[in-house]
Amino acid sequence: MARNKFDVDERLEAPFNLSHLKRSMVYIRRHRFKMLLALLLSAMASASGLFGPKIMQWTLDDAVPNRDVSLLFWLALLFAASVVVGILFTTIRSRIMAHVSQQIVYDIREDLFSHLQKLPFSYYDSRPAGKILVRVINYVNSVADMLSNGIINTILEFVNLIFILIFMFKTNVTMSLMVVAGLPVFIAVILLLKPRQRRAWRHLSNKSSNYTAYLAESIDGVRVSQLFSRQEENIGTLQRLVESVRSAWMKAVTISFTVGISAELLSQIVFTLMYIAGVYWLGGAIVSFGVVVAMGQYVSRFWQPIINLSNIYNMFINNIAYLERIFETMDEPVTVDDAADAYELPEIHGRVSFQNVSFSYEPGIPILSDISFEVEAGESVALVGPTGAGKTTVVNLISRFYNISDGAIIIDRSHDISQVTLRSLRRQMGIMLQDTFIFSGTILDNIRYGRLDATEDEVVAAAKAVRAHDFIVEMEKGYYTEVNERGSSLSQGQRQLISFARTLIANPKILILDEATSSIDTKTERLLQEGIKVLTAGRTSFIIAHRLSTIKGCDKIMYVGDRKILETGSHDQLINLKGLYYRLYTAQSKEMGALEPIIS
Amino acid sequence: MFHIQWIWRSTDNRHRILFVVAMFFSAISSLMLLINPYLSALLIDRVIIAQDKEPLIPILMGMLAVQLVRLMLRFAMNMMLESTSQHTLYRLRCHLFSVLQYQENSFFNKYRTGDLMTRMTGDLEYCRHCISNISYQVVDSIVMFVSTLVFFLLLNWALTLLVLIAAPLLFLIMRKYSRLVRPKFVAIRERLSELNTAAQENIAGNRVVKAFAREDYERDRFNERNKAFKEANLDVNNTWLHYYPLIEGLANFMTLITIFAGAYFIIQGRLTPGELAIFTSLSWALANPLRNFGTLINDVQRFFSSAGKVTEIYYSRPLITDRANAVSHDKESIKGHVEFKNVSFSYNKEPVLDNVSFEVRPGETLAIMGPTGSGKTTLISLLVRLYDVSGGSVLLDGCDVRDWKLQELRAAVGNATQDVFLFSDTVEGNIAFGDLAMDEESVYDSARRAAAHEFIGRMPQGYDTIIGERGVGLSGGQKQRIALARALAVKPAVLVLDDTTSALDMETEMHIQQQLGQLPFPCTKIIIAQRISSVKNADLIIVLEHGQITECGTHSELLKKRGYYWETFALQSDTGDCKEVCAHGT
Repeated sequence: MARNKFDVDERLEAPFNLSHLKRSMVYIRRHRFKMLLALLLSAMASASGLFGPKIMQWTLDDAVPNRDVSLLFWLALLFAASVVVGILFTTIRSRIMAHVSQQIVYDIREDLFSHLQKLPFSYYDSRPAGKILVRVINYVNSVADMLSNGIINTILEFVNLIFILIFMFKTNVTMSLMVVAGLPVFIAVILLLKPRQRRAWRHLSNKSSNYTAYLAESIDGVRVSQLFSRQEENIGTLQRLVESVRSAWMKAVTISFTVGISAELLSQIVFTLMYIAGVYWLGGAIVSFGVVVAMGQYVSRFWQPIINLSNIYNMFINNIAYLERIFETMDEPVTVDDAADAYELPEIHGRVSFQNVSFSYEPGIPILSDISFEVEAGESVALVGPTGAGKTTVVNLISRFYNISDGAIIIDRSHDISQVTLRSLRRQMGIMLQDTFIFSGTILDNIRYGRLDATEDEVVAAAKAVRAHDFIVEMEKGYYTEVNERGSSLSQGQRQLISFARTLIANPKILILDEATSSIDTKTERLLQEGIKVLTAGRTSFIIAHRLSTIKGCDKIMYVGDRKILETGSHDQLINLKGLYYRLYTAQSKEMGALEPIIS
Repeated sequence: MFHIQWIWRSTDNRHRILFVVAMFFSAISSLMLLINPYLSALLIDRVIIAQDKEPLIPILMGMLAVQLVRLMLRFAMNMMLESTSQHTLYRLRCHLFSVLQYQENSFFNKYRTGDLMTRMTGDLEYCRHCISNISYQVVDSIVMFVSTLVFFLLLNWALTLLVLIAAPLLFLIMRKYSRLVRPKFVAIRERLSELNTAAQENIAGNRVVKAFAREDYERDRFNERNKAFKEANLDVNNTWLHYYPLIEGLANFMTLITIFAGAYFIIQGRLTPGELAIFTSLSWALANPLRNFGTLINDVQRFFSSAGKVTEIYYSRPLITDRANAVSHDKESIKGHVEFKNVSFSYNKEPVLDNVSFEVRPGETLAIMGPTGSGKTTLISLLVRLYDVSGGSVLLDGCDVRDWKLQELRAAVGNATQDVFLFSDTVEGNIAFGDLAMDEESVYDSARRAAAHEFIGRMPQGYDTIIGERGVGLSGGQKQRIALARALAVKPAVLVLDDTTSALDMETEMHIQQQLGQLPFPCTKIIIAQRISSVKNADLIIVLEHGQITECGTHSELLKKRGYYWETFALQSDTGDCKEVCAHGT
């Protein structure tokens, strides 16, 4: 699979089109009544604002010449009232819109995150985590204002524009046409700049995504960098990434500023031309000077909404680059998903059978081909073989982390795993992965992750079974000790024990242990196995391990190699076969047996 | 003020000058905003009312020129501010990143990845915003307010003072609001960081999430944070809307006073109608800045809460650094003589290692065994100063590691850590991690010695295959072998293998052991392992239990002691009767 690196720009698979914008309507439509109300309130607030100049005019024309102090007083009161009404409407509108925009952020983020939960391993494996993170957090934050206030303001400005146009044309058609003539010029400017502007902002979103990805990875891998004294080089890499963010930014904002400034400049030019024409060409004869003055005021009133709209347009252009990325992630196909008619897997016994299973991560490069085997309920199976032979892949297929390309995996003779819901399938599996992951939180929380309703006693019992209890209680806060992913207060072996307890507490029917105990000392491991033996009774278990002591104890051993299962049988059977397992076993025994006389 | 000073100090002189010029431009361009209304009035008086076409063109051209100059100034100002803010941002990002690069373990235990990410993205964004936007808006508002005020005072001081009657009250309200809202912005900031952490851990731990079918739980947990973030934002908004009517009302009150007190003054004969026209037409120039201050408070407080988070990282200094009198060592002449002298170490006041002493001569192999959590990894961390000892000393080539130059010390020691971390880079890039200038042959050679050459060759693009972050897509054993190759590739004088072969099968491990025995460069080896087969050929084996060395010797010496080592041997070999040995041993 093509993997993305921190310094590789992501290609946008689907170009932006109207359907994307339509799609964001899903989030907006939910709030259409609120937004309509906000629109109305805004309109009323502006209307009440219009009273101001009128009152001012009355004051100067009526109250002052007549020296009418009481009228003055009443007018002042009226003015105050109009202000209060305006503020009231604006406050309510702001309150409504704050809720709407926050809800839109919340909804988009919720959907994005939910979708991410459904995406298969391959999605996460093929790109740096930082590039996913930046979409969930930063990009969603950016688009919210566009989708709420941006839309309302666009409508408001258009309404504004229409009203002014009406007033303008009612005052004088010829001069209005002159004023409006500036508009095509402005639109031409926008259209000219648009492709470049879009490219520039998209470029920027790529560059900042690269920066975030490198940052996240560097923080996680900081210890390795320190051990190899790579800090200087890393800083150099970051400088390059940050530099490209900077130059992308400068390019993008330059275009945006140009759009904004050209609108204001055009407004002034139109004003000038209109005045000249009004006075020289039409002056006195066709239009009165009063009309010229009035039109002069309309010019700025007409262009103000256009300037505002161009600002909103800039915002749209910037944020569409982010919106594209968000929708792209939401469109990422869920390759491993419940079938349309998937049913809940009932409580199982744990019989697993592979029927002619083939699998490849990428077409053409088979990892497993035509594998068949049966494991009875309650049996324990050890998978052995050279590293990278596909042992982990085999166990990953049982939990349907990947879809097989051919064949079927059947549980309890009747349930094809591709036909049951993923949740009901995985809930009955206990998988201990090769790499442990510790969430930030208490040790108690981490163990409880296996079964959320487990009581504290049950957590302690699980910890005791895997021999983790002793070191946990030795810690200052015991089970309430805070740990995190990079937390070095836990040793690798201790992390494995905690993740082991987490698996056990899930009380699975099928237990999968993938190198679960590689970092645990032999004595603890042996004690642990004693404890687990009780717990694994009645469970089917798949164990990947290299230690012969662990392997030998299993009911069945499967030798995985060359994309196939090459040998299957009990320890004794395979030894008698004198094949690959025999070779593996004797190699190890020879190592160990060299000093045999001393011990006996 | 501290945060503003910090930003100021974070940039260079060229951009400081640019910034000052931009502020100057901002002041001039907002003053120019007052010219066109004046020219407009002139236009009406001289042209329209006077019916005189003569001054029309000069006035119009004047207005156009003013606007043109103003817009150019604005454009220049914006570009200068963008340039300054981007430059400062660039420097801050690089500096913060280098701070992170040199921080020790305890720092990373304290700050989660998601939290650091928030500081390096969202928080820095507000710092940028402060330079590029808040700065000139503040200047605009102040210049506008002050110039209008002076103009008004000259025109009619009595009316002006009357207009200003509400100003102190407005000031008090804003101050109160500012104090009230500050912790709320800090809260938003915290919620964002928590949200970031939740998402980051979910992405990093996605395998565990899927393995336990915890998608719903994760979704709920994430949504809780999502909601908390939303609530925090709404909380600030509600607070703002609580004060907004007062601030907006008082700003309008000034306009009201201007008009009506002005009108009253005219009636009383203390003001001419023309003067009042100027007052009313410019009353916005007094009220708008005050309005803006309200929203600027939000921006500034947001900046403060973010800047606080950033400076916390900016000024944190690692404790483990080169000493002033650090000795320089030539890499070629390092022998690899390691000695621990009465080493004790405590972490968070809890003793981890207690009086540990041993010596490994150049070229020898030391093996360390011991139960989980007995302090093995900590012990070798002291050699490369991931931590510093609490007592005693660690010597490399007879020189205390604390007197080494850190960079040279770490370059001398090749580490293959337990928790294998690979970068999302090509296989070759990962192996050559310790030395960018490494030639291909050395990369291949290290890979061969680490028994990785063969499986790398089978990958679709061989050494150019990009490995996923953290090495996803590789098996545990493959990751360990690449990590081993990475450590070997730097040809270290001391090679530390921390449980590096645990996920390997026997055959591969034997191959590696053989290779380690015949390295083409002098190398002292320190191996932590649980398998007897990995350690039995070592020149010295130590058993570490509860931070103390309990057994020490060669394989055969230790077997005779019938202690931990013997017990482990018995458990791992097929010959001993497990139960009997267990009973005997404990």
